[in-house]
Amino acid sequence: MALQVNVNDILSQLYHQRGVVEFLFANRDNITVNELLNREDISAEQYQKLKSLDLVYEYENIVSLNDAVVAMFEDFMEIGEVTPGFINDYINELNRHIRFYQEAREMRFLRSIKKYLKRINATLTREIIKLQKNVDDTYKNESNYRIKLQKLEDYREKRDTIIEFIKKTTDVVEETRSLFALTNDSELYGIVSALKVSLIENLDYLIEIQTDITDFINKIQFQIDVYKKAQRLKEIKEHGSLYYKTNFKEIVQNINTLKHNGHKTPKTKIAVDFLFTDDGHVLCKRIAEKYKLTRLMVRGIAGKMAGNFKDKGLEQQIKLDTEKLVERFLVQTKTNLFEYLMDYKFPKAIGTVTFEDRLSLFVEIAMEYQTVLDFKYRLQYYDYNETGSTVKKRLGYTLILPAKQKEKAKKEKVKKDDSEKE
Amino acid sequence: MLAEDFNLPKQTHDIFGIMARGNFISSNGTKDGMNRLYDIVNNPDNFDRLQAYFNVIRYNIERGNNFFYFSKLNEPNSEIEKKLERFERYIDIVDLLASMDNKITIGSRFRPSEIAEECNANVRLKQKLQKIPLYRSETLHNKVREICDLMSRDSFLELEDEKTESYKVLDSYSYLLDVINSVAIYEDSGNSDDAQGLIYN
Repeated sequence: MALQVNVNDILSQLYHQRGVVEFLFANRDNITVNELLNREDISAEQYQKLKSLDLVYEYENIVSLNDAVVAMFEDFMEIGEVTPGFINDYINELNRHIRFYQEAREMRFLRSIKKYLKRINATLTREIIKLQKNVDDTYKNESNYRIKLQKLEDYREKRDTIIEFIKKTTDVVEETRSLFALTNDSELYGIVSALKVSLIENLDYLIEIQTDITDFINKIQFQIDVYKKAQRLKEIKEHGSLYYKTNFKEIVQNINTLKHNGHKTPKTKIAVDFLFTDDGHVLCKRIAEKYKLTRLMVRGIAGKMAGNFKDKGLEQQIKLDTEKLVERFLVQTKTNLFEYLMDYKFPKAIGTVTFEDRLSLFVEIAMEYQTVLDFKYRLQYYDYNETGSTVKKRLGYTLILPAKQKEKAKKEKVKKDDSEKE
Repeated sequence: MLAEDFNLPKQTHDIFGIMARGNFISSNGTKDGMNRLYDIVNNPDNFDRLQAYFNVIRYNIERGNNFFYFSKLNEPNSEIEKKLERFERYIDIVDLLASMDNKITIGSRFRPSEIAEECNANVRLKQKLQKIPLYRSETLHNKVREICDLMSRDSFLELEDEKTESYKVLDSYSYLLDVINSVAIYEDSGNSDDAQGLIYN
């Protein structure tokens, strides 16, 4: 390292230049110094600072992030190359600490053992996920088939390595079972049993990956073979002996796809019922235009209905009702608004109006027509059953009467109507 | 028997519309919801029902590796000349695609200009392209375009992006590979086996 560094420096540098770091991480290996300095979010000075901390380095005018930083990001995002070597390191460390612990039963060694056991578990899973991703990715996206095959073979080897590590880990855990039992540490017990479960699970995943790899390799091999054959056939064809040296003719004769046998789409007569629909009419019209038949062009289509015409109708109906309802209420003097609504006989067309509906109507009227109503600010009580239950309840409501000045109310109503008309 | 008795999926009409034109339904096609249609046909329940339904008009659904197509029962062996001509041309085209630096195969994406460019640079490829019997194409680029257009109409390719003219090879392409693979070559001297894994350019 060029300078004495601490975590704080590194973190704050990475944070301040996060735009640049993200940019460099996304475009690894092809950003020149000039390109980078042309960005608005970094000055030459800041760039020097990054360089002095070794967070980026320059080689032949190409800027790259420090490998350690890239590796850290890749690890967190579970992408990047599969590196089973780590697991081996962890296993070695684990063995070392187990030996220490056998010598001296001290907590610090036990802590390290736990740490490495956990790490092995996490790393194994992560490596397997990466392996799976990379295998898939290689098959789907690697365009050069020779490299594709090579890569898949490499992944097969990596898979074998991981399996070996799993076996190794299982052995270590088995061997030290009695030792771990002696520690009487419940946390360690939990870690070990979790590790055992995930080892078995991971083995299953690896078998799955193996079938995938084999499948992919076979598919590629098949395509290569077919391509070779296509080239052979082409050669034979150019020599003019395709019909004599191969069974091309029989094979093609036996081909039964619709397209290659000159089958046309089957034609059926149009159903008469269909012609009476709107779609049918469009069809008729088109034919009529084509053949200049006026007879078929007479009937037109009704204009399109709005999609929500049903809802609109419903809303309007309710609105009209309330207005008329209020008018009728204002004319009478016998009851207050609440009682009036409770006893009101709605027309049959609306269907049954429940207590709750009436209640909401009461609130609605009280709010919308407050100018024509006389609020008494006195409570009265009303006993009722909730719809669908037999529990008795009591409700307090404000006494509301028609306003005394009917003239005024009427005037206002007229005004309102006028403004609506406008 | 009525159509309702078969309990068909509601996409039956679309499926028939594609396959009755002699086209394939591929699992990696995206135009007109082709991958969805593939899933529907691929569902075993649906498959049996559709098969029974279409068998009434003597059409048979054939299943390939990730694609479906119609064949006709009791077909008259007509148009053999046309058929042979067609498949000879398919061999030419597959041979050309196989000879690219970047082997074009199922799932590949490419642009006609790329192929034209490569053919321009390589005499052998240029010859191959020029010998494919198509008419009214003067430039290499137009010829490749015409080939792509033809293959799209036969539903082996799909024009994925019209702006960039980028094509994708569909699963149905393996139908052609299968046909080629099933052709037996007599008195094969065996000289093609010594270069395993290598394709001549």
